[in-house]
Amino acid sequence: MDVYLDTRVSLFKSRLWPAAEVADLIDAADDALPARLERRGLGLLARGYADDDPRSLEARIVAILLDDTRVLLRPLAGAARQFMLYWIERFEVSNVKSLIRARMAGDSAAATAARLLDLGDFARLDTEALMRAEDVAELLRRLERTTYAEIVRNARLAFEESQDPFILDATLDRAYYDGLIRRARALDAGLDGLMADLIDRINLVWLLRYRFNYGLPPAQVYYLLLTSGYRLSPSLLRVLVGRDDIAAVLAGLPEALARPLAGAGTIAEIAARLERHAFDRAFKILAGGSQALVRAMAYLILREAGLRDLRGILRGRRLGLPVDDIRLAAGVA
Amino acid sequence: MFRARPMLKVELLCLASEAQEVALLLARHGSFGPAGTAGRETGRRLGEGYRELYLEAAARLDKILEYCGDNELAPIPDDAVAPNERELAAINAQLSEIWQACSVCYERELRVAEEKQRLAMLRETYARLSVLAVDPTRLLRRDGLLDTRVGQIPATNLKRLADALSVAGYLIKEFDRAGDQAFVVVAGPRRADGEGRHRLGGLLTQAGWRDLPIPPELRTDPSVAARYIEDEEHRLEAQVAVHCELRQRNWRQFADWLRQGRVALALARPLAEASELGLSGKGRLAVFTGWVPRSALAGLRAALEARFHGRCVVQARAPEAGERVPSLLTYPAWLRPFTGLVRGYGVPRYGEFDPTLPVTLGYLLLFGAMFGDVGHGTVLAAGGMLLHGRLAGLRWVVVAAGLASAGFGLVYGSVFGYEDWITPLWQSPLHDPARLLELAVLFGVAFIAATLLINLYNRLAAGRPADALLGGGGLAGLLLYLALLAGLWGLAEGGGFGVLPALFAAVAWAAMTAWIGLESAGTSGERLVVALVEGLETVIGLFANTLSFLRVAAFGLNHVALALAVFAIADGMGSVGHGVTLALGNVVIIVLEGAIVAIQALRLMYYEGFSRFFAGDGIEFRPLQLVTSDK
Repeated sequence: MDVYLDTRVSLFKSRLWPAAEVADLIDAADDALPARLERRGLGLLARGYADDDPRSLEARIVAILLDDTRVLLRPLAGAARQFMLYWIERFEVSNVKSLIRARMAGDSAAATAARLLDLGDFARLDTEALMRAEDVAELLRRLERTTYAEIVRNARLAFEESQDPFILDATLDRAYYDGLIRRARALDAGLDGLMADLIDRINLVWLLRYRFNYGLPPAQVYYLLLTSGYRLSPSLLRVLVGRDDIAAVLAGLPEALARPLAGAGTIAEIAARLERHAFDRAFKILAGGSQALVRAMAYLILREAGLRDLRGILRGRRLGLPVDDIRLAAGVA
Repeated sequence: MFRARPMLKVELLCLASEAQEVALLLARHGSFGPAGTAGRETGRRLGEGYRELYLEAAARLDKILEYCGDNELAPIPDDAVAPNERELAAINAQLSEIWQACSVCYERELRVAEEKQRLAMLRETYARLSVLAVDPTRLLRRDGLLDTRVGQIPATNLKRLADALSVAGYLIKEFDRAGDQAFVVVAGPRRADGEGRHRLGGLLTQAGWRDLPIPPELRTDPSVAARYIEDEEHRLEAQVAVHCELRQRNWRQFADWLRQGRVALALARPLAEASELGLSGKGRLAVFTGWVPRSALAGLRAALEARFHGRCVVQARAPEAGERVPSLLTYPAWLRPFTGLVRGYGVPRYGEFDPTLPVTLGYLLLFGAMFGDVGHGTVLAAGGMLLHGRLAGLRWVVVAAGLASAGFGLVYGSVFGYEDWITPLWQSPLHDPARLLELAVLFGVAFIAATLLINLYNRLAAGRPADALLGGGGLAGLLLYLALLAGLWGLAEGGGFGVLPALFAAVAWAAMTAWIGLESAGTSGERLVVALVEGLETVIGLFANTLSFLRVAAFGLNHVALALAVFAIADGMGSVGHGVTLALGNVVIIVLEGAIVAIQALRLMYYEGFSRFFAGDGIEFRPLQLVTSDK
């Protein structure tokens, strides 16, 4: 059913908003906004804007993404289907983190439930039972009896020793992306380009944050990175984690990564530039020539990015932020 | 039997202060199922705090009972009243205290269990350490040149940790492995200022590191290690004993209270459940919204009147178009054991055709046809009678399947594979396989046509006439299917496709694809692709599903062939071997082939039948009920 998926993706492509049109939303009149969102098939966001939908903006974005994924999953079977499902599991890992944070803060079950993303039939966790765990230890033990056992086990061991929430988050993230890399490689479906952009970006940003924001020692930073990466090989990562400042790290990057980062000085700027660079490449993949699954993944990545830009704009407008700040946040300055 | 019982939407107004009692009465009556987002429609949500407290308390109670052992639910007096919110909060607080006490024991027990497991590994590890030509105590000395640690980590983290340690100039060496744990030595240059520790940061913790205690005398006296482990084991056993004692003490101390607590929570449950879906507030009034079977409404009104003397007002109306109504399905006693065949797939929607009876008959027919043998069927039926415990629910399904098998055995003239013991009512499958295949396909055509007709009825009942007439699963699909079959039949008979079948097929196809296109969302290009692909998918699906019924004939033939294979093997044996082979062969046929045929028959019902007309996404009617026992 590659042809069907390919056609589906080509048709879905029209749902991606050109940057200029997204930027226009910043200046659009308040009463015109819902109609414009409706016209673009974003009824869920439009209703949210009119504020008669109690779900958060984030939850509505996830609902839209899940709807798209549900359609793209239809013709897929076997490992390809599993890979796309695993991609969606990011949202459930995010729910796991929310549950852990809520237990740490001692939030009520109702308050916890309000923070969880509704994944509908993609959900695999019994969040109702999990949110009633008395403490983090009980929660982690319960999670170890779920499909996320592999991801959670190391986190629990580390947490029992240190009680450090940072270690929990970092270990969960790393375990998830390790699983993603493993599945992508096993598929051998030409996903390398997309995965390289994604994983290398995550790796580089983690490296810089852990090293220079959190001040972790190089050995620990290396342990937290995705060492089965793409252009950032394990040997290169070992060198980079030992560098003393951001400029030195950037100087040691391979050409393909260094080029879009020329002149970047802050971690936020580096993350944004790598993201834009990755999206440009994803647009090229989407334009044609690649396998259907790769195009479908490119679409999902771009769709999510576009919706998050929209979220920034909608939230900014709702908060009454200056237009220039909204432009900056949405990357259309 | 073929449809859910008629329901009425009910709004029940009462004093908010009496909401608990009303909920309790509704639960005792057992005919009111809360539903609807009443809070949003008519006023503020009511009872949310109560429900939250109930859920928290119930979760705690479950954990306590699971950990400390169950205790019976005390009888609930007829005049018992539900706790109010303040009382429920006190119960919840008490349960929290009990669970705190229990969970301390629980966590300790888990730790002790892990420690014991670790000790078992240590015993082997020490044995190996003691024969190493290294003095571990010198290795670990603080004044040495090396910063050395001995410990264990999950083996899966070993490679990553080795790479990370090399960044800090450290080495790691695995010297033993037990289960998923690797026992390792980590060593690096020691710095006088303790910078080594800084260089590793939280790395070891992150990798799940646990220090390995090395008794100082290990090198000089290996028995020290054995003594150390023994002491540790005694210490752990003592801890276990203390925990068991603590657990028992907790249990003795709290058992009576818990028994009463369970009763209080059972009484609180109706209001908590109602508040999730069907309870809202209007001033000092509480409004229960939900569904009641039409036949039970008068009884409910009378019960409310008797208890509240006019302080409750009940308003009822028929379901509106498009409203999600729960299905209350009732069956005669003889059909109830077979309801699982349908429930395994889902619940029929309200107003939809309930396929339990035809599915039961169809399943038994298919099973019998694929597994027709008087002897095998009789054994299966007799075996079914012996099922008990958790399998008791399958008893009558197995018995009926066995009888169907025996019935088809009479048709095929087969008894334990012997085809010359009785005269067949028809003939053995092997005598004319082509005829059997033909019959199987004809059965498939009739089956699929019947499912499309049921679907047509369901869509009409759901108020979707256009979908019923134009949909691929409705009249258009049925006409297309029958027209194509007629055309293909004509071709096979050498008379050509025929104008009439072609005309019907073309009209039905056009109607079907046009409807799919209209129904789907998206741009016109998107709609066109969806219409073409889904239209094609519908046709392919119909024919693939029809051909699926060939397996009925194939399994019928397979059954005979397996019996022949058993005879062939038995014939090569001596007299004892012959008997044993026949007995074992028949057991294998009954157990293995019986199971396969049971699954195949179910698969045919589910995928070739249900998926066509039965979404299975109906809501089961769940009335409020007072839980009076653990069952």
